[in-house]
Amino acid sequence: MRKLLLPLALMLTVATAGEQFAMSDADKKMYEEMQENNPADIFVDAGSEELEDNLGGEEALQNFLNVSEKELPKYIAGFPRYITKLDNVVGIDQVLQAMQVEQGKKRTSLNEEPITIMSAYVKSLANDELVNIDINENKEMKASYDLGKIIYEKVRGKRGLSCKSCHSKAVKGLSLRTQTLPRFGEAGTGATWPAYRMTKSKMRTIQQRFQGCMEDSIHTVLPLGSKEMVALEVYITNESKNEKKIIAIPGLKR
Amino acid sequence: MAEKRKAMVKIKPKKFKVGDTVKVDFIVIHPMDTGMAKDKETGKIIEAHYIDNITFSFDGKPFTTMKVWESVSTNPYFSIKYKVTGKGKITVDYTDNKGEKNSKSKKVKPKA
Amino acid sequence: MERRKFIQSILTASAVAMVATPNQLMAEEAKKEAKAEAKTDTPALKGPNDLTLEEAIKVITGGKEVKKSDKIKLTVPEIAENGAVVPVKVLVNHPMTEKESVKAIHVLNTANGNTRCVDVLLTLANVEAYFATRIKLSQTQEVMALVELSDGTFINTAKSVKVTIGGCG
Repeated sequence: MRKLLLPLALMLTVATAGEQFAMSDADKKMYEEMQENNPADIFVDAGSEELEDNLGGEEALQNFLNVSEKELPKYIAGFPRYITKLDNVVGIDQVLQAMQVEQGKKRTSLNEEPITIMSAYVKSLANDELVNIDINENKEMKASYDLGKIIYEKVRGKRGLSCKSCHSKAVKGLSLRTQTLPRFGEAGTGATWPAYRMTKSKMRTIQQRFQGCMEDSIHTVLPLGSKEMVALEVYITNESKNEKKIIAIPGLKR
Repeated sequence: MAEKRKAMVKIKPKKFKVGDTVKVDFIVIHPMDTGMAKDKETGKIIEAHYIDNITFSFDGKPFTTMKVWESVSTNPYFSIKYKVTGKGKITVDYTDNKGEKNSKSKKVKPKA
Repeated sequence: MERRKFIQSILTASAVAMVATPNQLMAEEAKKEAKAEAKTDTPALKGPNDLTLEEAIKVITGGKEVKKSDKIKLTVPEIAENGAVVPVKVLVNHPMTEKESVKAIHVLNTANGNTRCVDVLLTLANVEAYFATRIKLSQTQEVMALVELSDGTFINTAKSVKVTIGGCG
């Protein structure tokens, strides 16, 4: 019985807080202007250098993915993808890690800066393209999407919450303790990560962001690059595809 | 020798003529530690480390100086206006409380 | 065989437990508590910027009178989405000529341990008395723009910023 009451109580807090603290248009404008001078731009440049100096740059990326220079932007806009070479649906970060291993270079963890900034740079190559992840491209993508949807909707953890509990139209006011709770499609989540997180003063990938949310909602944190985490990214990215969002990296987030 | 800090100087709009007033934006990667926060893992105070002086010059002639304090955000941003007098270079020289000296420039290329 | 090993060597193990066990829950709760403690327990260090607003203003003006003025357009968010990066914009509606100009724009806060934020010394080359930056605000408080004019007088204006903490992650 207790498990049922908790989410309800939380819903009420969420519902009443929302309207009082909705961002004014003037405030929204100020935050939008900040995008023009995003510290992340410097990190994206650094990511470009890192890719060039340590992995052979875009050419090496094209070779690894077996894609031409012309095809690369649209191809990147379709991540996470099923990569035959790796026999798995993977994110850009995992492709970079695989390149490190293939070239006999030191493999950096998915949580470390080199991979994060390179991921941001690589995804920025798809800027101005529509998010074009294809969940029906093959059976692996379909399976990943289905798994992602299950995880998104699964109630788990001490608070009896699922991602959907807070991030859905059913929640009035869409704000949790005065912070906006994005509805992933409309908010263009799949198109604006990796992003600079103001509260962390760091670049973060979408999966790293998921981990933060899981910690706070008392869910077991899923490992970066795990089948489940990639599935969740596939599901969320597809929401932005449905809303025809255009890729704009780096993002700027709270 | 001071470590090479990453920074950016931007001029807006991108196209301008001599006599136009442009916006000069400067962003730099710097922790701007106040000296009041504790490291979450060690529990020790993180030493104050913040940019304390900035000078904007055009071809070596300063046109704006700033005294900066700890309350400015990490990876800070500063923006001012400037009247373009001709072709040249805007240089931003900055120092921090630990004595680090750094510099970042941007060429000024007016259309006419 | 080789290919499978290659792939395995790269990819992370899949998440096994999707539901937290009691031990994991307790460990996570304990970690959260420790995090919260570390945040609130700040030491009382008095640095050269640890001034009250009045003291800071006195240091800047030398004790001169400061008049409130609506010539100063101070733009800050009503509600700051986070306290780490609060945008601040100052534009003074005042000439910038040989005869009269804005000498300096000072940005201050009222409740951080470090009151002064930036002191901007302008010259005629700036053409506009404009300055923008991003500051840290530890809690809901006022941000003040204190402006020095070329005739030696001081004007100011201030606005309140609601700083939100919370949200998720």
